[in-house]
Amino acid sequence: MSDATIEVRNLRKRFGRTLAVDGLSFTVEPGTVTGFVGPNGAGKSTTLRTVLGLDAADEGEALIGGRPYAALRTPLLEVGALLDAAALHPSRRGRDHLRWMAHSHGLPAHRVDAVLEQVGMETAARRRAGGYSLGMRQRLGIAAALLGDPPVLLLDEPANGLDPEGIQWIRGLLRHLAAEGRAILVSSHLMSELEDTADHLVVIGRGRLIADTTVADLLAAASGDRVRLRTDSRAQAMELLAREGATVAVVDRDTLTVSGLPAQRIVELLTSAGVPFAEVGAHRAGLEEAYMELTRDAAEFTATTDADEFTTSTAATSTADADADEVTP
Amino acid sequence: MTTTVTPYRSRLHPGRTGFAHLLRAEWTKFWTVRAWPLVLAVAVVITVLISQLGASGSTAGGGPEVTLGPDGTVVTDAFRFTHRPLTGDGSVTVRVTGLRSADGRSLEPWAKAGVIVKQNLDQGSPYAAVLATPGHGVRMQWNFTHDTAGGTGDLTTAPRWLRLTRTGDRLTGYESADGRGWSKIGTVGLAGLPRTVEAGLFLATPAHLVVHRAFGGTSERYGGGLVTGTYDHLGLKGTSAGARWTSTDVGGAAPNGPAPENGPPGSTQVSAAGAYTLTGRGDIAPDENGPDTVQMSFQGVFVGLLFLVALGALFVTGEYKRGLIRTTFTATPARVKVLAAKTTVIAVLTFAAGLLATALGFTLAQSRLRDNGFRPPEFPDLSLLDSPALRAVAGSAALLSLVAVLALALGVVLRNSAGAIATVVVLVVLPQILSFAFPLPAAQWLLRVTPAAAFAIQQGKTYYPQVAHNCLPESGCYPLAPWNGLAVLAGYAAAALLLAAWRLRRRDA
Repeated sequence: MSDATIEVRNLRKRFGRTLAVDGLSFTVEPGTVTGFVGPNGAGKSTTLRTVLGLDAADEGEALIGGRPYAALRTPLLEVGALLDAAALHPSRRGRDHLRWMAHSHGLPAHRVDAVLEQVGMETAARRRAGGYSLGMRQRLGIAAALLGDPPVLLLDEPANGLDPEGIQWIRGLLRHLAAEGRAILVSSHLMSELEDTADHLVVIGRGRLIADTTVADLLAAASGDRVRLRTDSRAQAMELLAREGATVAVVDRDTLTVSGLPAQRIVELLTSAGVPFAEVGAHRAGLEEAYMELTRDAAEFTATTDADEFTTSTAATSTADADADEVTP
Repeated sequence: MTTTVTPYRSRLHPGRTGFAHLLRAEWTKFWTVRAWPLVLAVAVVITVLISQLGASGSTAGGGPEVTLGPDGTVVTDAFRFTHRPLTGDGSVTVRVTGLRSADGRSLEPWAKAGVIVKQNLDQGSPYAAVLATPGHGVRMQWNFTHDTAGGTGDLTTAPRWLRLTRTGDRLTGYESADGRGWSKIGTVGLAGLPRTVEAGLFLATPAHLVVHRAFGGTSERYGGGLVTGTYDHLGLKGTSAGARWTSTDVGGAAPNGPAPENGPPGSTQVSAAGAYTLTGRGDIAPDENGPDTVQMSFQGVFVGLLFLVALGALFVTGEYKRGLIRTTFTATPARVKVLAAKTTVIAVLTFAAGLLATALGFTLAQSRLRDNGFRPPEFPDLSLLDSPALRAVAGSAALLSLVAVLALALGVVLRNSAGAIATVVVLVVLPQILSFAFPLPAAQWLLRVTPAAAFAIQQGKTYYPQVAHNCLPESGCYPLAPWNGLAVLAGYAAAALLLAAWRLRRRDA
């Protein structure tokens, strides 16, 4: 068996007139949690379905350990997937849902109990799935993905519907699973969910790759060489620093970000001019801010390349996205 | 970075994904949705109850005495007979010169004129006959249910010579165009034939039946039927106790006709030259007019079927509705195998439940029918393990199983429960309802080409080719033979499965 990786190569998928995935390529390596990020309808779910062999790619390919999904002999032991936590028969018990999956691969019953324990569903799994909360469905879906103890995991919005405690739990779980050497792809439309979890990010927008980078690189790029300054004399400080050639931006009532001047020089200038200040330090961008910057660039990029289409497609975005993500083509 | 990471290796025992595992997974799916086994049980109970209820509504008795043939079949045995006793071996020969209608009606294709050797003059006694017909050439017939074709000449255009020879209990039929060159039609053994029998000329014509058909009902009315046959060169070889030919109306009453005292009696005239002219009515044939007590025992199948159709459809559309089908196909990417496993599970379960329902329903309905007067000798006791009862019981179970499979396959094609269920109901149930309203040829066509043809498997009556009958849907007659009818449904199910497999491969899940 080759390495447990997910490789997406030049993937293209069209639903009617909507190009859901447009030439997408990326790789998920073992031992990492890769965040798969993009706004709703960006093509994340379509990409995941194509990787799982549920949708046929129009062009390109998606490989698990070098092989297409359909060629896997025991798929549940090679890839664990959570696509839609609501995909349960309401009158089937959670445990029975896992039992039929286990039977399809000749897995023993104790494996079902083991994953139920792992997700904390031992008791709830004896009830019918129709009465589950969204959080319970997510946990059962994660249990199903872990059933075959696979080296590759694909999870579509796994934190959706979890309470804060549940979100803490899943972060820990994903970190733990990655540390064991598994390749994990986690999609989300909220960058904040991936903070402290993902090592790597694949950002897509409207079916295209926007960024494929490590989290550290992305944050560094977004932070730039800006300096964060807290002062009660905001107007005075702005005027002084601007005169010295810096670019100053207002963050809130007493906070500014300054670029174009090193922190030491700023402290000198303010001290000599007698402007009071409370704090000077390097500005650290959050993932959310970095993501906003990225997607803003992508939007501009789109606007300049196919300007004709842009206005209509943004207007149609919500419906087209719904098509791509939810409606069975 | 990748070089520093050791990819994860599971310590699980390697799994297996054979077809048996897939079957077990689908089997588990079936039994873990509480409603599904329940629907299966309800289908059985409903089928049994309605079968019994349907049987309770029918009573028999008070009708005219029936005639039974040597093998217990209900028969018609009424004809004009000009005969002499024949003792020991011998033969009877005649030339049939013509057959025409005596009451202005068109001639029935199965009107009969010929020679016969019969045990005695009692209705239902064993016989063998060689006869000419207007529509079916020359035939040799014996003991009502047996028929062998001879030459194809048309009696109305060319006279035929006919001969019947007795040797021991064996009878051999011959025919000839000119009375010199004879060809053999067949030899039959009539075990237990006494030394002295009646031999001679006979004449018969089945009643002419007029079918009235309108919304809500159909009736068959006796439309007359009286023929005149002409014969010459009558000869009897062998020992005869009687020196003269005598004539008898065997049975008297014509089937579906007026009572013997009301109808005109038959007549026999002999010319000086030895030409015989017989006029008469009646038939020597199995009687197919009685109710079908086998078919009457399966009325619940029609309702039980609806539950199993719903079950077959829901077993797959339920997964499409909730997106569960994607979990199924990620566990087993070979989609056609999934279809095969689902089909197997549904087919086995519905057949087993169907068999239980039809065997139980049949047994209870039979005892109810017996209580209501459907008793021997007219209605023989039917054992579950004898054909045609066994065929009807097992065939009905197969029918139930096939409609469930048809619904499942259409569920895959349409991905929608309502659509799949409605389509099966339209294909299986609607033709039956329409067959009561449509003109007879259209109704019979519907019951040939739609899956409704499969209900032919429930027929317990044998329709003999030597008996003309109007196959009326109201009387429970299906135009196709039992197994052929079931094969039509099987064909639909197979076609739907192929279409489903093709759609599964072509479409995104």
